[in-house]
Amino acid sequence: MLAFAAIATVMLIGAIGVVTLRQPVHAALSLVGTLLALAIAYVQLNAGFLAAIQVIVYAGAIMVLFLFVIMLLALDGEAPAPSLTWLRPAAWGAGALALVAVLAVLARDPIGPASPAALLEVFAGSGAEGVADQLFGPMVLSFHLVGVLLLTGIVAAVGLVQRRAGQAAEARARAGRAGADAPDAPPLPGREPVEV
Amino acid sequence: MFEPVPPSYWVALSAALFAAGAVGVLTRRSAILVFLSVELMLNAANLSLVAFANRWADAGAAVAMSGQTVVFVVLAIAAAEVAVGLGILVAIFRDRASTDVDVLSEVRS
Repeated sequence: MLAFAAIATVMLIGAIGVVTLRQPVHAALSLVGTLLALAIAYVQLNAGFLAAIQVIVYAGAIMVLFLFVIMLLALDGEAPAPSLTWLRPAAWGAGALALVAVLAVLARDPIGPASPAALLEVFAGSGAEGVADQLFGPMVLSFHLVGVLLLTGIVAAVGLVQRRAGQAAEARARAGRAGADAPDAPPLPGREPVEV
Repeated sequence: MFEPVPPSYWVALSAALFAAGAVGVLTRRSAILVFLSVELMLNAANLSLVAFANRWADAGAAVAMSGQTVVFVVLAIAAAEVAVGLGILVAIFRDRASTDVDVLSEVRS
């Protein structure tokens, strides 16, 4: 129970940090803290394989991608003044309401624990074997669909960059034809927000 | 080994994480911070899947492990989603020099 309290504290502090910190890098790092605490929670819940995957894929690969994009775009803190002033308190109220609703249901119908004998029998290994049995057995269709999804994602990401590169080359060619001193990279005009 | 924690506690923790993520999605204005909050919500759902997989050990290995397998699939989907989403984000930033979601109101009638 002590371990649970420690993990829950770290997770909640991290989650509040993600929601409130103004610098994107700080928010991303507090999300890393939450994800690592989540990996410890997975170990406590007899899911050692998922804990390893969580650290490697989530806290590793995915968060590095986030930090990379934050650095690439040189994003600074967001402006403090929101356009809809009632939105912030309303959002916090909605979140608190949802949390209280779930807690009320859990207080009324607590979920009992599994029997220790079944836990020992089912979760004998790290879980990699059991996950593989399911993934290549009854859930093989979702395995294939995830493969298709990942391929689509790669094609889409490359397509986004490719279109951009084609436009840049076109702009360079135009500038060269005009005889003007061609800029190395086409300027990225920050288009003014359209007044509606 | 660890002393067992009642599954209710894990589900409550997952609900708190999900609520925090939802608040972030609603209040954040920078698109990348909205994205981070979405990741928080995905992980909250994963935590409750793992907690229920642990609780349903009585129903046998197939049932318990299918919960953990869903978490594995969600992780793969999250990876694909992040790759495409951040690509779109970079494209928008190059076009507008801003990722403020309040500014992105082009399709508004």
